Amino acid sequence: MTPDLNNYLIVGALLFGLGTFGFLTRRNLILMMLSAELMLHGVSLNLVAFSRHYGHYDGQAFTVFVLTIAACEAGISLALILALYRRRKTLDVHVWHELGEATPSEKLLRGSLTMDSPVAEPELPKLVPTGRVPTLKGEEVKTHA
Amino acid sequence: MYLYYLPILLGCVALVVALTAKRRTQNVFGMFIGLGALVFAGMLWFEPSIEWVDNILFLVFAGVAIGASGCMVTSRDPVYSALWFALVTLSVCGLFVIQAAAFLAAATTIVYAGAIIVTFLFVIMLARQAGKADYDRRSNQPLFAAAIAFVLLCAMLVYLDNGQVRKGLNKTSPAQLTQLLPIPAGLEPNALSRPASGESFGTMRGLGRSLFGDYLYSVELAGTLLLLAAIAAIAISPKRVGGHL
Repeated sequence: MTPDLNNYLIVGALLFGLGTFGFLTRRNLILMMLSAELMLHGVSLNLVAFSRHYGHYDGQAFTVFVLTIAACEAGISLALILALYRRRKTLDVHVWHELGEATPSEKLLRGSLTMDSPVAEPELPKLVPTGRVPTLKGEEVKTHA
Repeated sequence: MYLYYLPILLGCVALVVALTAKRRTQNVFGMFIGLGALVFAGMLWFEPSIEWVDNILFLVFAGVAIGASGCMVTSRDPVYSALWFALVTLSVCGLFVIQAAAFLAAATTIVYAGAIIVTFLFVIMLARQAGKADYDRRSNQPLFAAAIAFVLLCAMLVYLDNGQVRKGLNKTSPAQLTQLLPIPAGLEPNALSRPASGESFGTMRGLGRSLFGDYLYSVELAGTLLLLAAIAAIAISPKRVGGHL
């Protein structure tokens, strides 16, 4: 029974609120994920404070699970972010407003137009050689890029 | 009574000023408002306990955690944001230690500061553009988000204090605290999650008994989930072609 439970709850609430603010305002995908982790910190602080308050280990056990979920989430989200970045070379959320394919036009839906109308090419990654081409004894070396 | 919610308002103003700052002076101005809000909040909300060491440690860790998370949210450079987040994690771990959760503090430091932050930093540096990107410089509806955060925090504080703030309720006596937050009747805590008789709360042995006693199936599930997440991350992550991302 510690008398300072409320202090910890307030700190947890503030961390959660700051995380919410960051998640809503930041446009960088990575920073949005970091803000979500900040909210998780607030939650685990609450759990630990209640665990101490009631004198049981339940809250601490839950915090271990929160930690596990946070690790899983970070791994998968970073893989997704990398895959998204590879397609459009930006981390801006606004670019990813629509993830689906373009809606087929009215004519196509009514059947008066067949699929041979121009369809947007999927954005494929382009290979760009970086850096200076190294030269060996004055002659250029062929790169396979 | 309304004074009680003023620090939240000040903090929201500081966040908006720091996020929309065009010049460095405005940024510093926002930082000062935020510091003022923090000090004000500490004066209004902090309920000191009997141990002065606890008080000082709590104030330092909580202040650093909230201040660093404010910096993290408003920083223009994602690398600095990640580093601020590491500082937040370390301070939260300090709070864990005060709350008798030493194992959790160590685990959180290792998992967050050791693994998650490093992975985030790697991804930030992989996806880095020349100069500061536009999406880092201009934020998305800061006023609107500040309003939402303000309402959310006020609601949480109202609920926390149950409308009985500063009305002569002596909150420092444990009896009244349990009266405020009683364990619901007919709800026994898990048998293995209680500290054994003669054992103080907060030992690693106790947490281990709880985890591998009451929560054994959950631990197994969590381990399986970690494995699945690792496989999923490998499957999702883009394949490298010719050494380019």
